Amino acid sequence: MAFRRRSIIPGFGLTFGFTVLYLCLIVLIPLSATVFETSKLGWQQFWHIVTAPRAVASYELSFGASLTGALINFVFGILVAWVLVRYAFPARRILDSLVDLPFALPTAVAGIALTTIYAQNGWLGRPLASLGVHVAFTRLGIVVALTFIGLPFVVRTVQPILQDLDRELEEAAASLGAGRWQTFGRVLFPAILPAALTGVALAFARGVGEYGSVIFIAGNMPMRTEITPLLIVTKLEQYDYAGATAIAVVMLVVSFVLLLGINLLQKWSSAPSG
Amino acid sequence: MASRYHQGGNVLSITVANVTKRFGTFTALDDVSLEISAGRLVALLGPSGSGKTTLLRIIAGLEFAESGAIRFDGQDISDRAAGERRVGFVFQHYALFRHMTVFENVAFGLRVRPRGERPTRQQIRDRVGDLLDLIQLRSQAGRYPSQLSGGQRQRVALARALAVEPRVLLLDEPFGALDAKVRQELRRWLRQLHDDVGVTSVFVTHDQEEALEVADQVAVMNQGRIVQVGTPDEVYNHPANSFVYNFLGNVNLFHGRVDNGMTYINQDATGDLIFARPHALEITRNANGPNHFRATTKHINAAGPLVKIEVITEWGAPVHIEMAQERFRDLALNKGEEVYIIPRDLAIFEATHGDFTPSR
Repeated sequence: MAFRRRSIIPGFGLTFGFTVLYLCLIVLIPLSATVFETSKLGWQQFWHIVTAPRAVASYELSFGASLTGALINFVFGILVAWVLVRYAFPARRILDSLVDLPFALPTAVAGIALTTIYAQNGWLGRPLASLGVHVAFTRLGIVVALTFIGLPFVVRTVQPILQDLDRELEEAAASLGAGRWQTFGRVLFPAILPAALTGVALAFARGVGEYGSVIFIAGNMPMRTEITPLLIVTKLEQYDYAGATAIAVVMLVVSFVLLLGINLLQKWSSAPSG
Repeated sequence: MASRYHQGGNVLSITVANVTKRFGTFTALDDVSLEISAGRLVALLGPSGSGKTTLLRIIAGLEFAESGAIRFDGQDISDRAAGERRVGFVFQHYALFRHMTVFENVAFGLRVRPRGERPTRQQIRDRVGDLLDLIQLRSQAGRYPSQLSGGQRQRVALARALAVEPRVLLLDEPFGALDAKVRQELRRWLRQLHDDVGVTSVFVTHDQEEALEVADQVAVMNQGRIVQVGTPDEVYNHPANSFVYNFLGNVNLFHGRVDNGMTYINQDATGDLIFARPHALEITRNANGPNHFRATTKHINAAGPLVKIEVITEWGAPVHIEMAQERFRDLALNKGEEVYIIPRDLAIFEATHGDFTPSR
């Protein structure tokens, strides 16, 4: 094999074999089971299920809210990472640990907590309601929940890049006459963009699959605040396995395409330095 | 080719007046003053921690002094931000923008100008093209920094700094990260470039050879102070004190005293400092006269233009000696041989308070 080279890991054959086996066991076989289960349906039946208005509304909501949450995290994740890397302040370590909390918390707990706070008689819900903004049991609430659980991704992907970014780059830009915004826009942002996009992809993927935290705050009204994973669970509870997997397959395909898109975007934005 | 960059009337002088800078309790610069005439190429030379880079960064506006002033042509610019000083700064590790091509890197300083002062697209293209010609990298304009060698990157960094038509060019250990051969080349190239462009330039180095070879003037720094300023010839041949002598080349250190025109070497480490450059000690087989001491050859390295010999004196101290290949062949020295050492030129620094000052 021409691509075989000496390396510290014991042999390409062994590691590649293990990788394939591992991916098969963990990812491909379970996924193909969904496709297999779905194939019990006829094409017509399949199409009927996956294009039902209730299903389509749930796709729009799930992917729309996940993307929105991921994009919010894109902006604020970079900001949080920036503050954590660039400034020394007393509670920095604590703040740094707080970022990971959405990872550690059982999502149902997060959901209940968010619902309590944003409900019309909650701490934040009440003042917001008096302003005419309703969060709990609306689409906005879903975006809030998905933003919450997606926060660590962008922060944790951007942080190491920012840490490694040479201070001299900013000094060079400054000595060449660039203002703060020019330095950020032309020098720093392009450097952290690929990592931030990776974080967006992860946050988005997590959002699409998120169930626990969303169902509490969403209100779960069909056509309005029902996310696709909930629709799948509903179908499962009705013993409609084929129907559930059909929708799951659509989710898989759309997720795959979107993630591929984000990955390509990321590759394109980081191509120069490679 | 390069003459069109000559800055002509735009060349200015730099005054550093009583600058002090502290980092916490550490005093990086201690009341430093320095006058740099227009159009000169000056080296700030010193060991690490001597404050030379801090001084350069203060001139650039990347760091600000606690007290004292920086003046360009007599005008106080101490409080101005780096971007307003029109200085070109070249970093040791290049600090090129990785996601930009060579062309875009060089064009950066022109592109970020305020709308009113920004050159047109065509003007930028011409100016960058000329600079790429100057650094002989026009063919690499579309490449990214990661695709260039270290020497090429440093040239791009220089072109980037020159693009904004700086009134002062500042270089921080510009060749420090390069290997010896490339360093030699770039050194001569920088000297040539300076002569062509004519912009007042200051560079920082810890390499005495580099400073002596390239600069018009050398400012030797130690522990946050400027110890001596002068032409390379002056600082090398008339060092202000023992530190400068020691720093500007290899030396052998003896201790002793001067009495009635005679120099006595003590075998313990007391008394005045007596320095001898390796080439100022002569090895012979038969000594006549009192002016010699005995030693045994320990190590001989005959590779290179000069033969380097390490001998152990009769009192057990190692001494380094250099001689021409010819002389070495005539002597036909062997390892472990007993020889006589005749000092041809000694530099003696009397132990005054703290520093040792020359006694001639």
